Amino acid sequence: MKMDEISMSSLDNSKLEGVAQDILSDLVEDACLGLCFEVHRAVKQGYFFLEDTDQETMRDFEIVDQPGVDVFGQVYNQWKNKECVCPNCSRSIAASRFAPHLEKCLGMGRNSSRIANRRIVTGNNTNNKSESDQEDNDDVNDNDWSYGAEKKAKKRKSDKNPNSPRRSKSFKHKSGMMGPRRRMDNQESPRMLMKDEAFPQ
Amino acid sequence: MSKDSKMRATINQKLTEMGERERLKELLRAKLTECGWRDQLKAHCKDVIKEKGLEHVTVEDLVVEITPKGRVLVPDSVKKELLQRIRAFLAQHAT
Repeated sequence: MKMDEISMSSLDNSKLEGVAQDILSDLVEDACLGLCFEVHRAVKQGYFFLEDTDQETMRDFEIVDQPGVDVFGQVYNQWKNKECVCPNCSRSIAASRFAPHLEKCLGMGRNSSRIANRRIVTGNNTNNKSESDQEDNDDVNDNDWSYGAEKKAKKRKSDKNPNSPRRSKSFKHKSGMMGPRRRMDNQESPRMLMKDEAFPQ
Repeated sequence: MSKDSKMRATINQKLTEMGERERLKELLRAKLTECGWRDQLKAHCKDVIKEKGLEHVTVEDLVVEITPKGRVLVPDSVKKELLQRIRAFLAQHAT
């Protein structure tokens, strides 16, 4: 209300213009001050001159815009860099096989809990045999009271078989081996024909 | 004279209270960044800092060197736009 009174009383265009100019210069000064603070801080923290580089280095890092080449000027090779080094066993594995390998190697995922169990068991066997023996005894005790004990016991035994987690894989391998062999069989028949043809001559 | 300064003080208070000052500041900042004012001033800052030495430069030095240049370098279009906003505010709240 008071402001209205004052302004009304002194509502002079030139005066108002002067006020506006003052406000503007205040704002500009504020902006300058802000920039000064920013630059000063950058200088004291040591990152002000970081963006200063000479022309030659800039040219080295220019973006390459040519067909068949990526922005760094490197040829994109589809079959390059497709091997990953396993952080656990430091073998290099094809990228497409890396995830399954890591699953097994690190002991995570579906099957690997069993593998991990096996590892622990074998480790215990070498380190302190008595404990693992006790575990085995516990299993026997379990069989005494649990329903369908025999079935369970069988299952446990198969689990402890060191080859069990890989069984599925070995099956795959076998089938993989079967494939080529079958193909060989197929190939044999033309060969036989060739022989047959060869015979009359 | 006292009346005049009183009026200015009230207007300034009003500007801050309404949040218009902050809005204007933000607008000015954006406009100045957009038109390269900041980059120009930064380049000037570099000269000043190189002249004074990296270790000895103070905020006061920078303010003294930069502010006059900063005032001059503000483009007229930005000035006009800001002034229009300020005038509109004054017209809205001073009548």
